[in-house]
Amino acid sequence: VPELRGSSGEAPDHLLTRWFGTPGLHTLDVYESKGGYAALRKALFDMAPADITNEVKTSGLRGRGGAGFATGVKWSFINRDAPGPKYVVVNADESEPGTAKDRYILENSPHMVVEGILIAAYAVGANQAWVYIRGEYDEPYRMLTEAIEEARAKGYIGPKPMGKDYPLDIRMYRGHGAYICGEETALLESLEGKRAQPRSRPPFPAVKGAWGRPTLLNNIETLATVPAILNLGGADYARLGTAKNPGTRLLTVSGNVRKPGVYEVEIGKTFRHVIMELAGGPPEGRKVKVFWPGGSSAPVLPESMLDVTCDAEALAAAKSMGGSGGVIVMDDSHCVVEAAHRLLKFYAHESCGKCTPCRIGQDWAVRTYERILANEGSQIELDTLQRVSDGLQNGRALCGLGDSGGWVIDSTMRHFRDEYEDHALRHECNVGKVAISA
Amino acid sequence: LSALSEHILEEIRNLPARYPQPRSAVMPALDLAQEEIGYLTPEAMSEVASALRLDAGYVQGVASFYTLFHLEPIGKHRFYVCTNLSCMIRGAYQIVDHLKGAIGVTRPDEISTDGLFSYEEVECLGACEYAPMLRLDHSYHYDLTNDAIDQLVAERKSGQVAVAEKPRTRRAPRKKAGA
Repeated sequence: VPELRGSSGEAPDHLLTRWFGTPGLHTLDVYESKGGYAALRKALFDMAPADITNEVKTSGLRGRGGAGFATGVKWSFINRDAPGPKYVVVNADESEPGTAKDRYILENSPHMVVEGILIAAYAVGANQAWVYIRGEYDEPYRMLTEAIEEARAKGYIGPKPMGKDYPLDIRMYRGHGAYICGEETALLESLEGKRAQPRSRPPFPAVKGAWGRPTLLNNIETLATVPAILNLGGADYARLGTAKNPGTRLLTVSGNVRKPGVYEVEIGKTFRHVIMELAGGPPEGRKVKVFWPGGSSAPVLPESMLDVTCDAEALAAAKSMGGSGGVIVMDDSHCVVEAAHRLLKFYAHESCGKCTPCRIGQDWAVRTYERILANEGSQIELDTLQRVSDGLQNGRALCGLGDSGGWVIDSTMRHFRDEYEDHALRHECNVGKVAISA
Repeated sequence: LSALSEHILEEIRNLPARYPQPRSAVMPALDLAQEEIGYLTPEAMSEVASALRLDAGYVQGVASFYTLFHLEPIGKHRFYVCTNLSCMIRGAYQIVDHLKGAIGVTRPDEISTDGLFSYEEVECLGACEYAPMLRLDHSYHYDLTNDAIDQLVAERKSGQVAVAEKPRTRRAPRKKAGA
């Protein structure tokens, strides 16, 4: 068992992680002794399904997978009265570079996830949930599978969960290595046994999702937050965080920091607090140069913007986004152009090939970066990058993977134009000496 | 002579019933095939296809999309080294260089002469707080150093560590309530 790196223990802003670190928390007995499964009991016996959805709406919870859509509103899109099967599909395909929080939750408290899934299924009128978990997550897969079996043996999953006459089941499905499966319609294709290429919308999954049926898709962290919302009450949950982006969320802080980890913070804290205090700041003698505030797809922010807060509105105003909460920190010993090149290689590799702008554009960007980094660049390459970046964005690609590559190019060029010009025009790298343009 | 054993094919034929629609069985079926013979040969994929009553080309199309399906032979032990940004800036490429020397290969997918090892560079594995990290067969290894790599290699060369068993999608035996 590796050492826990991140939040654990009682604290006012530890809604999800307060019991993390408790020996045996992954077992049903210990989870329940801490108050676990009280929210499921409350949902099944004291609340009508519509009340549960309303409570989640009141909480203001927004999806923690990346898009940040209002969770309660998403739940209300499922027509409970539609005849035939409906599904909950759980996105455990965590693959956004710099993001490890779903793994952190699954390895510490799998029953919290089980409880959230069961509540969501009951609320939207589904009897079966499918957890799509990335294939590399062997240990989280094992732990969640064991938690499901424990809950089944205890009678919390089955034909009459806790005695309630409403069948609930949770099944597992393993992914096989494809970043695109984090995109919800690509995930559905994969779950149906196909190449994971995103679907055109409409129809939306709420109407026609998994196996052609109405489907609710939520991320692991989103569902793990649901028990806390029912226990506290939506209104009390909404007192945490900002007015438009309430609650707490788990930020994975990685890269050049002294204490990398998964930190649960009240939304609205500054990145200075997250990076410099919680994660201990950069190594001795180094300075933060740049950070990705929400996974590699979130446009970068320079050190001068450390006081931006981590809520969706503040990040949008800073031309970035909260995304998956993956905070990647890079210090002044690293070159931004090389980092951008590495990320474009990632997006090119993971492009599913279905739409032309993304399939061609990401690859074009990689080749342009290669020329620049081989000291074969000129103004032409800089213009090409700008043009390719534009071609990837603004709805030209079928899904967000296209935009993401474009944002990396666009944001690194916007904040670090000097570094690009050093490489492309002067064929030199001045890392460590470069002033950061605002 | 078939590529896959009869009991694996039987298991594959039983998979579709577990899903709302039978096609969902294709990846679990390919898993079983790959586990049995190490990688997916065209013959194995054809046998999976006929066991599932799917077109062979369709099954190959699915297999070729996902990085965890291997269409070429791999070493007995496979290193999947994360080189994405969080690991890169903590030295992942130096780890890759050291690993190549330690297992005696010059490029990804090359199998060491003793057949024991191969490696590939992979994208983010979701354990960024432990960077640099890698997945070896079916387990994660954290805070990598050259010494740690040497130890992982030595343990497997000496036969101390067999391939970690993969968690199965099969349901664990049900425990009785209160047991």
